[in-house]
Amino acid sequence: MSNPSTPDPAPPRDALLLTPADDVATALRPLHPGQQASVQGLQGTLLIRQGIPFCHKVACRDIAAGVWVRKYGEVIGVATTAILAGDHVHVHNIRSVRT
Amino acid sequence: MTVSTHAWMGYHRADGTVGVRNDLLVLSVAGLTGPCARRVAAALPLAKCVTMPFGGGLLGADRQLHIESLIGFGANPNVGAVLLIGSDIPKVQLIAQRIKATGKPVAAVCLDDCDHDVLTLTHRALRASADLLLEISRNRRQPAPVSALSVGLECGRSDPSSGLVANPLIGAVTDRLIGLGATAMFGESLEWLGAEHWLAARAASPDVALAVAEAVARRARLAAAQGEDLLGNNPGPTNIAAGLSTIEEKSLGAVAKSGSAPIQGLLRMAERPSKPGLYAMDGSAYSPESVSGFVAAGAQLVLFSTGVGNSYVSLLAPTLKICANPQAAAVLRNQLDFDASAVFTGHSTVHSATEALLHLVLEVASGTLTWGEILNEGDEVVGRLGEAL
Repeated sequence: MSNPSTPDPAPPRDALLLTPADDVATALRPLHPGQQASVQGLQGTLLIRQGIPFCHKVACRDIAAGVWVRKYGEVIGVATTAILAGDHVHVHNIRSVRT
Repeated sequence: MTVSTHAWMGYHRADGTVGVRNDLLVLSVAGLTGPCARRVAAALPLAKCVTMPFGGGLLGADRQLHIESLIGFGANPNVGAVLLIGSDIPKVQLIAQRIKATGKPVAAVCLDDCDHDVLTLTHRALRASADLLLEISRNRRQPAPVSALSVGLECGRSDPSSGLVANPLIGAVTDRLIGLGATAMFGESLEWLGAEHWLAARAASPDVALAVAEAVARRARLAAAQGEDLLGNNPGPTNIAAGLSTIEEKSLGAVAKSGSAPIQGLLRMAERPSKPGLYAMDGSAYSPESVSGFVAAGAQLVLFSTGVGNSYVSLLAPTLKICANPQAAAVLRNQLDFDASAVFTGHSTVHSATEALLHLVLEVASGTLTWGEILNEGDEVVGRLGEAL
């Protein structure tokens, strides 16, 4: 199998921010409250406030209730409550814009 | 990676297209002659065989898809020559003429010309195929521009690694290819549901935006008419457990493989784009049908993401299997052509994987084999839209 992408010498990142416009990053491994997580695409570290399961989303910035939430640089939903940076973002605090 | 103007080596055809392969296609245009076509291909392992399990009595859009697919397979730049096998002369002649318009050698044999004796048909087909194989073996690869490439974008057996890494990676490579003047097509219109706003915003004209939105609405109506509610339980419990929160997020993960280029038009299945750029193809979400739609529309390569693994490939267009799931990458060594799992584990970046995948695309275009070709997993599948007479 072709795998010519050169692995970085730096330690692996804990989460991935897909575009600079995104409000949420996706956890590349389970994240724990109090952890300083390194996020691909984000300067510095992100203080994790809640447990984030593998492949679930974490807020990278504070999001006010009623505000659009972005991933892929696009709107994936609207916040149903205030969300703080480091919070778990999922069906309990965002909903589809369509419903 | 700086890509030179003539970045790959391909087979230049008379109509200005360039093939990444140089195949003889043995094409049976009716169910009746499928066994004969398979017999010919078994006797001549260098030939590639596509058969249609049906043909007569097709109506309207079904007939159009059938004929356009047959012509499209023959006209695909990867096909150096075509041997048509059929039953009735007028249908075979119609398809032969349309493929001959590309300037490539075409021979045709018909049961009508053989007193309906399949052994006579087989004998004539074998001899004509052998002659065509010699003829196309004289073709040589020459330098070719990236703008001569047309790629189909597909996903199958997806998992969270697909939407997060493999599809965005394919999207980044697609952006690079389009930037160099190439053509790309993405389909599976059902999966656009929830991402219509994003696709509409990327449409090159208001007409295209409207056509894309209508294609999604039509497919949703199609499902509703059969009692399927696409929005009610979407994303489903498995999706939600895997971290997907909304239909928008799910759809954006799927259409991420289209990158960010403007959408030039909405194509029917098997409809060839009129100029370079990115196109949406309104078609089935079933991978074999979807991929054959791209191939009949002229795609020479397919970029196919998978999460847990998917062995299906096109017969005529080398299909690169791209995966970011570390477990699948470890197990499916002879299925996956590109391992992007280092991005999914946080050890590498989409940016560096983009350069590596672009490099592999040009290598495969120039002749490096995919696992699907080596294992002979390829097929072409044309769907049916309705009942025949």
